Amino acid sequence: MEGAITAVFEVLNFGAIMILVVLGLGVIAGMMGIFNFAHGEFVLLGAYTVYLFSVWALPIWLGMLVAPAVVAAIALVLERLVIRRFYAAPVIAMLGTYAIGLVIRESVRGLIGGLYRAVPEPLPGSFDIGAVHIARWRLSIVIVTALVIVGSYLLLSRTGFGLRVRAALENPSLARASGISTDRVYAATFAFGAALAGLAGALVVPVFSLSADLGIRFLIQGFLAVMLGGVGSFEGSVVGAGVIGILSAALPWAVAPVLADVLVFVIAVVLVRLWPRGLTAGRTV
Amino acid sequence: MLKASAATRVAVLELALLVVFAVLPAALQEFRVVFVTRVMILALLALSFDLVWGFAGIMSFGQALFFGAAGYTVALLARDAGITSIFVVLPAALGVGLVLAFVVAAFLLLGRHPPSLTFVALGTLTGSYAADRLARGWYYLGGQNGIPSIPPMTAGPLQITEGLAYYYLALAVLVATYAACRFLVRSQLGLALAGVRINEARMAFFGYRVQSLKAIVFSVAGAIGGLAGGLYAFHEGFVWPNMLGVILSTQIVLYALFGGVGTLIGAVVGVVAIEIVSFVLADAYPTIWPIILGLLLLLVILFRPGGLISVLVPRRERIAVLGLARLGPPSAQAEAVDGAA
Amino acid sequence: MSETSHVTRRRFLQSTAWMSGAIAPGAGSWVVPPAWGQSGNPIKVGIATDLTGAIGYAGNANANIAKLLTKEINAKGGVIGRPIELLIEDTASNESTAVANVRKLIQRDKVDVVFGGITSSMRNAIKDVIVTRGKTLYIYPQLYEGKECTPYIFCTGPTPAQQCDEFIPWLIKNGGKRFALPSANYVWPHVLNQYARKVIESSGGEVIFEEYYPLDQVEYSATVNKIMTNKVDVVFNTVIPPGVGPFFKQLYEAGFQKRGGRLSCVYYDENTLNINAPHEIEGLASCLDYFKVVTKEDAPSGRIQAEYDKQFPGNIAFAAGSAATGMYRGLKLWEAAVNEAKSVNRDPVAKALDHAKISEGPGGPAEMVPGKRHCKMRMYTAVAKGGTYELVARSKGLVDPKEC
Repeated sequence: MEGAITAVFEVLNFGAIMILVVLGLGVIAGMMGIFNFAHGEFVLLGAYTVYLFSVWALPIWLGMLVAPAVVAAIALVLERLVIRRFYAAPVIAMLGTYAIGLVIRESVRGLIGGLYRAVPEPLPGSFDIGAVHIARWRLSIVIVTALVIVGSYLLLSRTGFGLRVRAALENPSLARASGISTDRVYAATFAFGAALAGLAGALVVPVFSLSADLGIRFLIQGFLAVMLGGVGSFEGSVVGAGVIGILSAALPWAVAPVLADVLVFVIAVVLVRLWPRGLTAGRTV
Repeated sequence: MLKASAATRVAVLELALLVVFAVLPAALQEFRVVFVTRVMILALLALSFDLVWGFAGIMSFGQALFFGAAGYTVALLARDAGITSIFVVLPAALGVGLVLAFVVAAFLLLGRHPPSLTFVALGTLTGSYAADRLARGWYYLGGQNGIPSIPPMTAGPLQITEGLAYYYLALAVLVATYAACRFLVRSQLGLALAGVRINEARMAFFGYRVQSLKAIVFSVAGAIGGLAGGLYAFHEGFVWPNMLGVILSTQIVLYALFGGVGTLIGAVVGVVAIEIVSFVLADAYPTIWPIILGLLLLLVILFRPGGLISVLVPRRERIAVLGLARLGPPSAQAEAVDGAA
Repeated sequence: MSETSHVTRRRFLQSTAWMSGAIAPGAGSWVVPPAWGQSGNPIKVGIATDLTGAIGYAGNANANIAKLLTKEINAKGGVIGRPIELLIEDTASNESTAVANVRKLIQRDKVDVVFGGITSSMRNAIKDVIVTRGKTLYIYPQLYEGKECTPYIFCTGPTPAQQCDEFIPWLIKNGGKRFALPSANYVWPHVLNQYARKVIESSGGEVIFEEYYPLDQVEYSATVNKIMTNKVDVVFNTVIPPGVGPFFKQLYEAGFQKRGGRLSCVYYDENTLNINAPHEIEGLASCLDYFKVVTKEDAPSGRIQAEYDKQFPGNIAFAAGSAATGMYRGLKLWEAAVNEAKSVNRDPVAKALDHAKISEGPGGPAEMVPGKRHCKMRMYTAVAKGGTYELVARSKGLVDPKEC
């Protein structure tokens, strides 16, 4: 019984982080038609910011608040300078963003000396609910992520900004004709997606250590999640991330861990092949 | 297909490179000969990528899958069955690459709904990544260690060890494969592919089975990748999961892009250029060099998407180059296609 | 626990700049040439170790002690009257890079001997280049799984017999009978576990489960759950960085130590202590050829440790799980062998090295077992308390490696 509860908690945990990462990736993919291969590195940058805060002996939780902002700023600069040239050329975008990701990854690798670095948790320790042990920080991750997801949903569905974003997603030319500056919307969305990824990295770095290859793991699972859920919709991202999260977290309990690793990807690709437009095709925010 | 002037220039380049490679060992010390051998084997892999992307328009982020799979196969043959004869292992490597690529192509490309470009890219990427994780996790394949201590390749009673012997073997294989690819792209199949690049829908209406054509090219490229993998395994003496993985796959893409896709020789040029510069600079600037590499590639993608070879062969002289769109809003058919007769 | 010293190559160089000109000659290697005034014709010693990557914390300790010893030996006039020139290549915890870099040592620099490799996968990747294709002597300084009987490869780190024969009975007495073997999926854990299982079962213990994980796995809740629900007494861990930190943390949070469980890990030394907070690994038991606390009972060890700490202050400790003690032992044994053989050619040195002995080393004296190419040494069992180790058992004299 406690095994089942722990498993569910695991799934929630991993799923939550995945959703954060995938939301950003999915909205960018849906709106600008490009798959951002540097998205994993945004996660890395968020983690790195928090690491810096720990090295400079500043409060970690403050680092976690600052990280999304920092990553958003960097993303904005990248978008203005480079990324915007890739719109409407998805394959070149993949390559170009990969090159950007490479630069970021190797820069971080050089800065941390190529080693693995540990970052302490802001809320250490664990507590017990009956026979189940729950780490405080992991629970906090789930709570924070849930709040952010709800917040993002409200942002997209209830605010003026969200309205413009959805308009640009659905019909860019009509949106422009209606006076919406798609340029600005793209820039803002890209920054927003990056901020989410940065937050994911910041939240997760005390759990996994910081290393330059932190982002790659999230990238591929993120892509699969986006394609699985359906490109360009809020529900799509959540569903896709949810499926990947459940598969990743639940499979090791059922089969040998090494096999579970591979099965997640195989199953995901097969699912995408069967439902090319994603599991939530046809619906948008 | 190139205009006459460009074709001559390329032919001159091809010949020049052939001559250089043929006589190079005389001028280098042994340890550098080993390095160039490795470069040639990687050039073979880059060639396989150029075939699928430059000629068939398939963005394959997973060529390392065939490279690594063949590598592991020959390593297992050597370790478990004691087979190191070149007459067995190279065909085996070729075969593994071919079959595996066909399976992947069948899954990704064939079927009722033709897939989107992005899906194929992601599918191949996933294949490469999943294979990496599998090899990393499976102890029979050595797990994280891979399979070390592969004995040298043999041809009858002789051993083909790294150094001059292997250099010329690799060169021979590279030249033969290159010639075969050249033949392929100038054949009827190549013409059909050119048509597919310009307007896929039109070719389909003409009655060409577009996805089958692509699958054929993908399988051939997989075979070439496999061949390269077999050579690499015996040259380096060990195989390990990174030979299958995403990093190598994307590296090959970047090599080919840097050299210039769509001309075959561009892929070779790209590998040679980057590997040599890496070799020279990586020692002096080990932490900064990958950053410089990334920036360099970014610049190439942004400003000279034709790659290094575009110095010789301007883009407008190539039929159906896939490149950057004009700046503007996204649209349904996202690829910009330069049609040029 | 975050490390404040960033071990980049540049800083590394600066921190050792006082040494007689450690230069990076633009050729990838780190060359420590002999001091001014010493005659030419140096003996070239190659070190191939992980200066960066997941195993970087150990590789740097390795390289440090090699530099220290080289200076010491050269100050006394070198070996057979010739100074030692140290050439260091970074294997970067990456086997492919390692092979390329080791080729440089063998083919370009033509070194007379190679020391190095830390993980078994690294050793397996580079040994061919060194011994078979390169026809050079190779000395492997790290604890490992045994069964390396290739000629011209000499191992100066502990073997499973040395680490398990006395340690596991101690664990049963001070932990319990039910063992779990969570492991990293590569050759060292696989082979070590085979041996450990034999000793566990013959000492009256029981292996509840044995599992293998990819090296970069950081999620261990399924494993931790298995450990807790199956009431495992002793966790005999062979998960390595980067997974080991999160694993130990998750194990602690589940309350393993609180209910009396004993954590054990045979490569855990002073360097790896920093991976987790002290309370998370309180009571962790390890069995190695040396711990810093041994300096209180063995004067030569104290001298070596003090010298190291003076020359290399900072976070990279001189520790036995980081191949540093094996490196010291290996270099000194090799020095003795070369002095006996009066040559640096492979065969005479190998013959002399076969029975070489040193009377002073970290942890105590050491001697090679003739014909076996492995090394007898003293073994110590220690327990982590409050961030440092406390000795709880010592071997009676030198322990036989029982290999080959």
